[in-house]
Amino acid sequence: MTIKKKILLIDDDKDFLFATKLILEKGGYEVFMAEDGKTGVEMWKSISPDLAIIDMMMETWGEGFSVLNKIRATDTGKDTPLFMLSAVDLQGPYNSFEPPPEFPKVNKVLHKPIKADDLLQFVAQELGGK
Amino acid sequence: MTDQSRKPLVLIIDDEEALRDGCRQVLEKCGYTVLTAELGIEGINLARQHEPALALVDLKMPNMSGMEIMEILSQDIPDIILIMITGYASIVSAVEAMQKGAHDYLPKPFNPDQLRVLVKRGLDHRTLRIEARKLKEEKDQMQKNFITFVSHEMRSPLVVIRQYIEALNEIAGKSFDKDVKEIIERCRKRVQSLEEMVEHWLDISRIENGTLAQQKVSLRLPSIIARSVEEMTPLCRKKGISLETNIPKKLPEITGDGESLVRVFTNIIGNATKYTPAGGKITLTVKSDEYYTTVNVSDTGIGIPHDQLSLIFEPFFRCKGKDEKIRGSGLGLTFCKKIMESHNGGIEASSREGEGTTFVLTFPASINTSKKNPLQAC
Repeated sequence: MTIKKKILLIDDDKDFLFATKLILEKGGYEVFMAEDGKTGVEMWKSISPDLAIIDMMMETWGEGFSVLNKIRATDTGKDTPLFMLSAVDLQGPYNSFEPPPEFPKVNKVLHKPIKADDLLQFVAQELGGK
Repeated sequence: MTDQSRKPLVLIIDDEEALRDGCRQVLEKCGYTVLTAELGIEGINLARQHEPALALVDLKMPNMSGMEIMEILSQDIPDIILIMITGYASIVSAVEAMQKGAHDYLPKPFNPDQLRVLVKRGLDHRTLRIEARKLKEEKDQMQKNFITFVSHEMRSPLVVIRQYIEALNEIAGKSFDKDVKEIIERCRKRVQSLEEMVEHWLDISRIENGTLAQQKVSLRLPSIIARSVEEMTPLCRKKGISLETNIPKKLPEITGDGESLVRVFTNIIGNATKYTPAGGKITLTVKSDEYYTTVNVSDTGIGIPHDQLSLIFEPFFRCKGKDEKIRGSGLGLTFCKKIMESHNGGIEASSREGEGTTFVLTFPASINTSKKNPLQAC
């Protein structure tokens, strides 16, 4: 029996977490959920997932980016694929945000809601199948 | 706060000592703090230092005239109320004073009551003006916050519902029978159109309060049309409607925001597909003259009744008697009109019932580029 790859979801919307978890579990992954950035970073350290999906806009705008920074700063987080999630439409007040050149690498930016097929495909691309 | 809690500050600029002192006594008794100046320049310096709420300025003074003083004060001191004191009250001088920013004028000789009334009225006017501005600022801020709020709070649940539908289909889709699948698909569509309605409404609100991000650059209209046509071709094909363009080889460039304009065209074309039966045709024809470039989007659809034509750009307006299945956000054409207006352009519709509808989009010629490069080959 193969060991399931681990995915960490960090989002402050419980329902979004649950819905996304169901899709990823159906895809054969083991899914962990964190409802805030702090918990997310702690879980990252204790679980060492193979991939993390981080919501861009949690309690405060930019929370997701600070989480990304903290994860990238860990030993295991240097090269692990990280996805950012955004429901922010680009016409909004946040469109002025541009990551600085030295900004940590984001492997993919996903827009909410994300189609189940797309999500599983993007994850599979990074993790090389189930 | 400080304006109300502090005694209002009144400045008197007059070269006549007796008048200065008389006014000071009257106004101090009314509870105002009073500053006086004999000369114009002295008065202006005092005003810049203390920012009085109101200034009484004598029209006829040595060195610097009252008109000059008022002109400087009205520019330099925010919200100052200026009252001109004059011995030669005439319509001409009153009009000039008003033009220089005076609120009122006081003809000499005047009695204490006249002075009191005029100063009080001036200060009341100032208070109201400041309050009105504050309220307007608050209202603008609330509007902006509201848009941000809506954009997050109203869209989040819709996004989650659609994500649940994705999850539902993923985990159990295969075991659903046809009816269940159809119910889920219909739910998904209705949620999606509600989401679109929120988006459209947000866009319109943003155009109205000037926070829609638009980058106006020189654009080649044919490439905008090509992008829009490309985007709409699959839908037209699916509905059995042909989509044709008729664009002259040479066209002047226009100034605009590409993304918004593509959305305008896709909206108009999308709208035409809703009301054009299979086998019909949608044609985009571009023409230009020295001043305008116009795009006609014509369809061979069911048309719009004459009496409703003027209403179609109104938010949530829907033609009566039309097919109930036809649904949209009800804001698409409103959005198009707002975008066209923000491009100094226009949009109009003409229609014959049973024959079709034509939307005419007008863009003003781009002044900068038309001089440099009047005819751009496409």
